[in-house]
Amino acid sequence: MPVTKVLTAGIGECDLRDIAVYRQRGGYVQLHRALTTMKSTDVLDAAEKSGLRGRGGAGFPTGKKWSFLPGQIPTRYLVCNCDEAEPGTFKDHMLLEETPHLVLEGILLGAYGIGSHHAFIYIRGEFKRGYEIFMKAVADARAAGFIGKNVLGTGYDLELTVHRGAGAYICGEETGLLNSLEGKRGEPRLKPPFPAIAGLYGMPTVVNNVETLAYLVPILANGPEWFSAVGTERSKGYKIISISGHVQKPGNYEVPLGTPVRELIEIAGGLFPGRTLAAIQPGGGSSACIFPENLDDPYDYESLAKAGSMLGSGAFLVLDDRTDFVQAAYNMVRFFAHESCGQCTPCREGGHWLETVLHRFVQGRGLHSDLEMLHRVSGTITGLNLCALGDSIEPFLKSVLKRFPEQFEARIQTVAV
Amino acid sequence: MSTRAEHFEALAARLKPACEALIAQYEEPRSALLPIMHLFQENEGFVSPEAMRCAASMLGVSPAVVESTVSFYTLFFRRPVGKYVLQVCRGLSCTVSGAEEIMKYFREKLGIGHLQTSDDGLFSYEEVECLAACDKPTCMQVNLEFFYSLTPAMIDEMIAAMRAGTFAVAPMAQTEQPGKTWSVKQDGEVSMGRKSLGATDVSHPNNAGGLGDASGLIMLDRFVNNEIAMRGRSNERLVQDASSVADVLGDHEHAGH
Repeated sequence: MPVTKVLTAGIGECDLRDIAVYRQRGGYVQLHRALTTMKSTDVLDAAEKSGLRGRGGAGFPTGKKWSFLPGQIPTRYLVCNCDEAEPGTFKDHMLLEETPHLVLEGILLGAYGIGSHHAFIYIRGEFKRGYEIFMKAVADARAAGFIGKNVLGTGYDLELTVHRGAGAYICGEETGLLNSLEGKRGEPRLKPPFPAIAGLYGMPTVVNNVETLAYLVPILANGPEWFSAVGTERSKGYKIISISGHVQKPGNYEVPLGTPVRELIEIAGGLFPGRTLAAIQPGGGSSACIFPENLDDPYDYESLAKAGSMLGSGAFLVLDDRTDFVQAAYNMVRFFAHESCGQCTPCREGGHWLETVLHRFVQGRGLHSDLEMLHRVSGTITGLNLCALGDSIEPFLKSVLKRFPEQFEARIQTVAV
Repeated sequence: MSTRAEHFEALAARLKPACEALIAQYEEPRSALLPIMHLFQENEGFVSPEAMRCAASMLGVSPAVVESTVSFYTLFFRRPVGKYVLQVCRGLSCTVSGAEEIMKYFREKLGIGHLQTSDDGLFSYEEVECLAACDKPTCMQVNLEFFYSLTPAMIDEMIAAMRAGTFAVAPMAQTEQPGKTWSVKQDGEVSMGRKSLGATDVSHPNNAGGLGDASGLIMLDRFVNNEIAMRGRSNERLVQDASSVADVLGDHEHAGH
């Protein structure tokens, strides 16, 4: 079995929330080493060499993202994105609550790596318990001299602000997050300029996912080659996959990228007896489904893109043959309609009307013209919005509509009213 | 007469140092808007118009800016809600694992539906988007504390403990009684209109007229208009008789002075 515990090591075995336990297991050694023996560009080099890609959804190479920061502006911010709300994803929630010091060390390393003296973490509003746990970790780390003025006597100042959201999926989008962090409505900004040029308070800013930053710790500990030796050609290293749905042992499983889809299902205890696989949503609510013919595909960024879907945040939702795909499509579209910030008409109106139409199908009151419309609507929402939320409304719907048209046709109203 | 104003003034004075500490964490004061609103909501049970005005003056922005921002976020309640806010996950992972039955059980057990508050002011119920605990379906939050793998037996126990005042999670502060429960379309609910528990809605009689409506006149106008507009709709739980109208108007007069 390819489950390899890197970030998840020790979870469930010892109390990693206790800073003493975390330090006993080698915690904060990398921060100390980086601050005392490495230049900040060495951390950036390590990130770049490791091949680490963003674990929040977009999969952008982390080192490259950092390298976009303009060199001549000394003020820059690192923001850790812990606004985990992509349907089916529950890895950051676990990391925050179970191993907060690892998350914290990753943030501090990332901040040092980009030469930032003020880092932020944006925690989803619903994670109140996680916020409290993390605040305790921050207090303990501050007492130990890892945060604040003159960290560990190295002369490097590094402040950290913990910011709690208040319920809005769109704040996981990096510019929406920055607006929210500035005390504004979490509406995404027009890009360019990208945050690396003008982010928080108009200053160069890097926004990285929790899991991405946490991987900096083992990458520095074991060397970038250790990380890049694992995975596939362009998808390096490990990834926590949040497996849920119709499997016997749902949970977070950390595996090398490129693990075959079939093995992921087996890791999670397999399907329920007597059931067969219908579809998998392999990358969170924004991703299109893959199907049984993709079972032997490697789970990595490129293979999933080739299969017409994406790896996204690594949420892996297994759907077996009892799934009502009309209901599922309605559920998914309703989510995006609910979470649309409303700035862009195609997303705001498109999501709402798709939801309305799909609700008719759920009630068995679909119309033939609705079905045609569902096919036709493609392209009138996607690609026409400021951010990716609007583009995320259709993929799941389109993939299941194509695969299970009979389920939709069966919900067309046959009796004239 | 002035108890509400006096209470708020005392609260604002008490929270001021904490608010100032929050503001000091950021390069720009406005960044502290969300944390300050969280703080007031923890103390008042909802984000009151007074709290929004107070935050506006502390942050150096207009009350409209604060209200506009607060209204963006579903976890800020702009009107009083129940002491226990029950938020059940309706995400796809939970739904394919039986969340529908759990939600149905909740609605029947509580006698209220999505986005409604029980008349005794104890419970508010909301079906929310994915809570990021998909490995333990069906999950929910009670006053933002997680509960996992729900069963009807757990729900029975939970509700009984809340009624008895012995539940593990502390009730939310409730400085004002929630308004009467008005109908929210249950089955045909689509996302236009009110999207979250604490939101106000122009077509809703419980709506306040916003911060510009200190005297309550806009609300009264809206209330009367809605009352007329909605009277004919028999499938809605509306105010049926004059005494209920008088109740609501009485509540309003009380709140307005």
